[in-house]
Amino acid sequence: MTESRSEGGLVRYYCTAGNGMEPFLVDEVKRKLAAEDVHQMPGKVLFSSPVRIDRVAELKAAERLFLLLKHDSPVRLSSHISPAKAASVLQSRLLGDRNQWTNAVLTWSRLQGELDGQRTAFNISSTALGVMRKNEEVGRRSEELREEEENCHVETGESTGEQREEESGNRRLRTGEENGACALEKKRKRETVPGGEKTRRETCGAEAKILEKKIKREDENMSQRTSEREREREDKDDDDEERRIVMELNSCGQDVKKGMISESGLHGSGSVGAHATPARDHDIESSSRRIDNLAEDCSVENVENEVKTTGEDKTLLQPSRIRPEITSSVGLSFRISCKCTGSLSRYFSTQEVSKMIGVGLGRLLGWKADLRNPQMEVNVYLSDDHCLLGIPLTRLPLANRNYIKTTGLRSTVAWAMASLAQIQPGFCVVDPMCGVGTILIEAAQEHKAACFLGMDIDDRQLQKANENIEFAELGNRIHLLKASSMVLPLPSASVDAVVCDLPFGRKFGTKTNMAANLPVIVTEMERVLCVGGALVLLLSPQLSCLLKKILAQKDTKPTSNQEIKPQTGVQDCSSPSLSSRKQETFQIHQGVKSPPTQETDTLPGVEHSLPSPLSSLKHQATLRVSLGAIDGLIHKYVKIDA
Amino acid sequence: MKLLTHNMLTSHVKGVTKGYPLLIKATEVKVNEVEFNPQFVSRMIPKVEWSCLVQAAEQLGHRQDLPGELVPDYEKNEEFLKKVHRVLLEVEVIEGCLQCPESGREFPISRGIPNMLLNEDEV
Repeated sequence: MTESRSEGGLVRYYCTAGNGMEPFLVDEVKRKLAAEDVHQMPGKVLFSSPVRIDRVAELKAAERLFLLLKHDSPVRLSSHISPAKAASVLQSRLLGDRNQWTNAVLTWSRLQGELDGQRTAFNISSTALGVMRKNEEVGRRSEELREEEENCHVETGESTGEQREEESGNRRLRTGEENGACALEKKRKRETVPGGEKTRRETCGAEAKILEKKIKREDENMSQRTSEREREREDKDDDDEERRIVMELNSCGQDVKKGMISESGLHGSGSVGAHATPARDHDIESSSRRIDNLAEDCSVENVENEVKTTGEDKTLLQPSRIRPEITSSVGLSFRISCKCTGSLSRYFSTQEVSKMIGVGLGRLLGWKADLRNPQMEVNVYLSDDHCLLGIPLTRLPLANRNYIKTTGLRSTVAWAMASLAQIQPGFCVVDPMCGVGTILIEAAQEHKAACFLGMDIDDRQLQKANENIEFAELGNRIHLLKASSMVLPLPSASVDAVVCDLPFGRKFGTKTNMAANLPVIVTEMERVLCVGGALVLLLSPQLSCLLKKILAQKDTKPTSNQEIKPQTGVQDCSSPSLSSRKQETFQIHQGVKSPPTQETDTLPGVEHSLPSPLSSLKHQATLRVSLGAIDGLIHKYVKIDA
Repeated sequence: MKLLTHNMLTSHVKGVTKGYPLLIKATEVKVNEVEFNPQFVSRMIPKVEWSCLVQAAEQLGHRQDLPGELVPDYEKNEEFLKKVHRVLLEVEVIEGCLQCPESGREFPISRGIPNMLLNEDEV
């Protein structure tokens, strides 16, 4: 039921990416999303794609996903510009006209709806796969937009004071679960309720489930919660009208609840027949990519009231995909998130710039600034090379996977490493120092017909890895062993790929002296690999240098008293058998002469009579990636016929 | 430990020339229900040492009607693939040990995870 193409045709997005991840992301958007006009800049990739947003949100190499508002040449200000003039320049350069914004907001809200409605569909395990909800309410968005809530959470009894701030001009319509649930038209004008708005937002988390068990649990919770909410609502009525509203809501809620319960236990969010109660907008929002928060699951979201003091007409909401008109004076609440670098940041602080833009935007559109809990966030990046504006499409970074419980290595980097290994169906892939299993899980999610073996010497890591694997429901394809990477319990040439994040010796405390054992570890990895198999390693800068030296020593002709230059290029292995023989000879000689190139003599007992073990690893690439506080280097090798 | 894993494991105790296949001595075996993925199973079959698999299944008493030899054209043979699926992925040794055929050294399996670590003198 999922159409791969989005309703609105090509949408232009941008994603942030960790340093070094940009090429992976570029490749991924081209491969998976039929991306066009791909533009790469440091830390970001811009692209247009016709594919549905839920597929876009499945990107593995990206950090955050934004809807592009504007990508333009940089804003240049002269050094003596006054703040007032600067503000006006910024505003005129960045804000553009109202229609642009309203269109963007429409697109954003449509995408949010698609994300809500479809999120469960692709995440649910096949056993739980049931009805795919088509979100009929997608088109029905009022100007009152909220940032999509990724986490299922329950917010009850929000203070009316807060609500008043939001000054929502219209009901928000967000459907998640039900098909045609509460397709309510709101034509009534509502008077200002003395108590202000009462917004009870209850997010229906049912959709985001991945695990059946969680789904079932949520169902129960949800029905509980819905009834709690309804009771609360009843208690707090002040107005007659409100009471009426609430009662209608209750009945609607009941229907919703019933509808949900009547669905098979697997999927609380099954489709419910169109509700017969049209009287009220009933927002049921489903979201949640975060399994962790699923425990909180469901709540029914609905927004009551909100009357514009200006007395603007409410938007007429139709039960179809027709988009509502957005009147400019609707008080959407927003916040500017700004990053300035370069010359601009010398004249004004980020806060000042933020404020200038925020004020301008508020004036242009009648939106209200709310720093704490805005409905919409606008991201602004101003540098010497570009200016970039966008609206985040997801609350949490895409890098936070909903199928991983305990993270080790950042998932984006783990995924990138797995992608370098060029895993084919039927492959057996090994991670000899798997830790909590991040790389294996990312790889297994991407390559569904390959089998994975993880090893670690640490019981606690293995236990967490086990939990992660069970959580992601990959226990049939990822298997664990307690074993040492220095003595792999596998036959030679039995494995198609080895992917490994070598402990840096900092965060991941390890008793072994990595530097001393590196040659043995890599030798074992090479041994178990089949010819043609890929070896992908993540190393600290120090280990990376060390490994280059070790391998250079095996392949090139070392000369006495000469420092080995670190080699980053592809090492020539065109005549491998010849070179290995040469090496052996040299090694023997070196044993006699002074061994200058053996500064890697941290390994005791290297004997010259050993066949050069690492000579069949052909270096293919070295890539630098940011791991947050530090950098790592990804090395890729292929085993050749030595 | 699933039999797919067992099929790959060898003993590298010092001096051992043939540490494969490891004998399974199980004290606790579980049979789980695992989602059947025919493509995955048929991809795994060529990687599996068939006689070792049959022998292992037999040691656990879970061979059932698994044939001693690979049937031809197994990719399309769903019934066969299901049998293989069961033996490879559904039978699981939770507690027990694996024994090196040559040295007799035992590697314990606990909570489904075999411990293949060697002592310093065994390396």
